[in-house]
Amino acid sequence: MERERFQSLCQTLRPDLVRFAFWLARDPALAEDLVQETLLRAWKAQDSLKDEAAAKSWLLTIVRREYARSFERKRLVTVDLDELVIQEDPGLARREDAELDALRAALFKLADEYREPLVLQVLMGYSTAEIAAELGLTTAAVLTRLFRARKQLRALCGEDTSGDPEE
Amino acid sequence: MTIDCASYRRALLADPQAATPELDAHRAACPDCAAWTTRLHGFEGRLARVLAAAPAGTAVDAAVAQRDADASPGAAPRGEAPVSLAERRNRRSRPGRPVRRGWLAAAASVLVALALVMSLWLAAPHASLARDVVAHMAGEPQAWARTTTPVGAAQLERALKEAQVELAPSAPLVSYAQACRFRGHLVPHLVVQTPGGPVTVMVLVHERVSKPVSFEEGGYRGMLVPDGPHGSLAVLVRTRDADTRTVRDTAEEVRAALRWQG
Repeated sequence: MERERFQSLCQTLRPDLVRFAFWLARDPALAEDLVQETLLRAWKAQDSLKDEAAAKSWLLTIVRREYARSFERKRLVTVDLDELVIQEDPGLARREDAELDALRAALFKLADEYREPLVLQVLMGYSTAEIAAELGLTTAAVLTRLFRARKQLRALCGEDTSGDPEE
Repeated sequence: MTIDCASYRRALLADPQAATPELDAHRAACPDCAAWTTRLHGFEGRLARVLAAAPAGTAVDAAVAQRDADASPGAAPRGEAPVSLAERRNRRSRPGRPVRRGWLAAAASVLVALALVMSLWLAAPHASLARDVVAHMAGEPQAWARTTTPVGAAQLERALKEAQVELAPSAPLVSYAQACRFRGHLVPHLVVQTPGGPVTVMVLVHERVSKPVSFEEGGYRGMLVPDGPHGSLAVLVRTRDADTRTVRDTAEEVRAALRWQG
């Protein structure tokens, strides 16, 4: 791929990469680091990207690997959820209504195994099959996680869940 | 095959955009589930807005702020990146935060990354406008239904009236039309049905872009397209529904069908 085309592609996808990294790590600074490392690795390995249509998936996979590496390097900043919601994220605590704040706080509390497929589906527009391929799960397992993710989120947000089905 | 309420709701909690003949038939026949679905879509819209919001202080917000400066037609080109990688890292460094890597590797990495980041800054498109368009999509998930039923002529006229624009008969089938508040103005928000799937078109009378700009963000891919002196069009699809070619072709079709009255 041409260098300029590659740069343009990264430019187009970068906002989503940062958002994905943020919701993965729940830490804006770490999200930036992850994306920087991702772009750096992508830059070095750009010849391995044969199909431009696969660029987004390729980059998201690198973000996930970088996130996993951050555990290996033991440099992961632990996050106090309450502090994250109240203080650190003026980043996220914009002047929006209470419903959005509650939803944001609930997302922070959601377990990684539920938050990640949900972010891939809602934010990245991935299909169930694509999420399954990315996470190495069956489609049935992905559907179960997405179902549980929304059930938990709705309950955490105080939504009326009386009509929600049991598992 | 028919499904019961629990199965229907289980399927939609896993994927609120799921659409099969069985699900559609159940929703049409069950008022309780139809009302529940409306509430779920409202929740889903809020969820999409929260997820799409850029964490302030991160590269997204910084880049968007700079791109705002670049976005106006005729903006002077910048000679240097506004903030270096090292400076950005210093700004957000925390006491006791461990150093990431060794010196030589770090120096080499920073240089390469800096070159890449600078080139990305300098290639900046109209990201904040695209982001606002995508954020607007989250509030109206019901607009994306695949259908062959056109919106009523009166509804279409109301949606277009404020922008002083009409659609020629050659336009693709319009299944959804609303006049929506966007950046302080009422703008037509249309969904047209194409062989490649539903495509949203917003007629942004008050927003100008200097050249066509592609974006892919928040589960959507689209284009901002200038339309002479009249403003611009935002044309987008859900990434799961359609490809870039559908966006490009629809943009051309709609632009050719627009008749400006003002």
